[in-house]
Amino acid sequence: MILLFIENLFISLSSVFANKTRSILTALGIIIGVVSVTMMGTLISGLDKTFENSMSWLGKDILYVSRYEWFGDMEWWEVRNRPRIRPEYVDKIKVRSKYALAVAPVMQRGASLSYGEKETRTEIFGTNEDYMETITTNIVQGRFFSKNEDRSGSRVTVIGDGIKEAFFGDQDPIGKYIKIDNIKFRVIGVLEKQGKFLGLFSVDKQAILPIGAYNRIFSKRGWMRLSIKIPENKIEEGLDEISSVMRHIRGLKPNQKNDFAINQTKAFEKNYNTLKLAIGGTGTFITLLSLIVGGIGVMNIMFVSVKERTREIGVRKAIGATKGMILGQFLMEAVLICLIAGLIGLLISYIFSILLNKIFPSTMDIWLATFSILMSIVVGVVSGLIPSYRAANLDPIDSLRYE
Amino acid sequence: MVLIALNNIYKIYNVGGEEVRALDGINLEIKENEYLAIMGPSGSGKSTLMNMIGCLDTPSSGVYQFEGEMVQEMDDDQLASIRNRKIGFVFQTFNLLPKATAQHNVEIPLIYGNIRKNERIKMASKALIDVGLADRMHHKPNELSGGQRQRVAIARALVNSPSIILADEPTGNLDSKSGHEIMGILDQLHQRGNTIILVTHEDNIAQHAHRVIRLFDGKITEDSKVKSE
Repeated sequence: MILLFIENLFISLSSVFANKTRSILTALGIIIGVVSVTMMGTLISGLDKTFENSMSWLGKDILYVSRYEWFGDMEWWEVRNRPRIRPEYVDKIKVRSKYALAVAPVMQRGASLSYGEKETRTEIFGTNEDYMETITTNIVQGRFFSKNEDRSGSRVTVIGDGIKEAFFGDQDPIGKYIKIDNIKFRVIGVLEKQGKFLGLFSVDKQAILPIGAYNRIFSKRGWMRLSIKIPENKIEEGLDEISSVMRHIRGLKPNQKNDFAINQTKAFEKNYNTLKLAIGGTGTFITLLSLIVGGIGVMNIMFVSVKERTREIGVRKAIGATKGMILGQFLMEAVLICLIAGLIGLLISYIFSILLNKIFPSTMDIWLATFSILMSIVVGVVSGLIPSYRAANLDPIDSLRYE
Repeated sequence: MVLIALNNIYKIYNVGGEEVRALDGINLEIKENEYLAIMGPSGSGKSTLMNMIGCLDTPSSGVYQFEGEMVQEMDDDQLASIRNRKIGFVFQTFNLLPKATAQHNVEIPLIYGNIRKNERIKMASKALIDVGLADRMHHKPNELSGGQRQRVAIARALVNSPSIILADEPTGNLDSKSGHEIMGILDQLHQRGNTIILVTHEDNIAQHAHRVIRLFDGKITEDSKVKSE
């Protein structure tokens, strides 16, 4: 069997190389197919990676209590009619909940920041001393503000890495004063560099203030949300408990629906998965189409090859080749074309993915590479099967006479 | 010893609803080391008979025994195996593989016979030396003359030490000098104990044989010993 395999390999190789132009054109279809399959896969795994990174900032163990659902389909007026989330909920939840490890109220608005001549517009956040517990970012310089600073309305701020870079460059920002909407704040800490959330907006351009100062200076109005940290292994229980605590705070009767929302990163995941399925589904369909087209090309060329070598098939049968041996010979040729094309395609996508990686996280993993090679072998077998079967079943007498 | 026994062999084709009897009740015995020529005009059934003897075709009815084995009951793979081991074909048009060297062409039956590489090279070389091509082993067919090509084909036919060598118009595509050489090789092979069956329409070629069978309309019309064994 091995002898025959080597012999078939030899025959196929010489046949493939004897008809170079034909082989290249045939292979092109498969190459395009493999490139699109692997690029599709690379893109999706890149998306996955981006998503995962972004999700890790939010934290799986954080519940976000607010008026609206992140991906809900409620009408805006219904949301507007819901009562606000109030600052006093923080203490109430802390007292009543046994799962809440940290509760941070968060208010947010746009503001203008300046330091000397430099000025930028960004988002400012008002929160309490628990905030650091509810985010995954660390302080790299200085410290976060304390409970006392919050209560006393101290004008201190923790800035994002982007602001630090823009205003201070290599200088030490700690103890310097920046202006937020023309009011002086003392910089006491700098957050770790984060990059962009979902590749969309930078979270490094932000300033965090104690909510006490935020309310006094910028208004108590505006929407507030609560970030609640719960134990990682008690997410379901925590969710139930926070929900009932909130219902109690709101004084809801058992037959009344919730008039608040508890959001989780899960909601993102669900939406992302739907999106991924849509992209992946369409992509897979298109790439499969291109592989099928490539396979048809191979099948076509194999029919030509069988026709051209009818006499050779007759001779081989006369001197003792069985059907299986002839089948193997032509199948090998089809698989060889596809395999070589697959390897070339893989090389091309590998180079693409390296180039693409400069603008978008995309790395081709070994499984995808293996899969695409297996795929091209399968295409080779499928498209070679009918021509090879025809070759194997040729009548030796007729084939010997074939001119 | 009887190598081949054809018993009441019929081969009937259906051409456009009409029955054509290519072989019409053939009875024939061929013994070991016979040198037989099958003659007849075109359409007489000699090609069909040759295909039948060469196990490329099976009879519509009748019994064909090859060394005692019932050929008409064999499936395709068994036929392929018997062709590989017991029969060596020599064709009018040589039918060598154009991209392979003489050596490789001769090795092909051995590859199908699943013989190891070292052994294979030894056997193929020996066969090529036997037909006088010791210095042409690594040439491709297009680098060889017609006579040399036919010698490669003969080497390929005899490399497996088959029971019979079946030569279909072996000199048909050759000039008379090369033709003469080829017949000389076949004569030698016969002297060494091989059984040779020639299919030809040329009398001077048939004269090399010791027994001549003439076919007409699918029937044997003459079976004569030309020379005594």
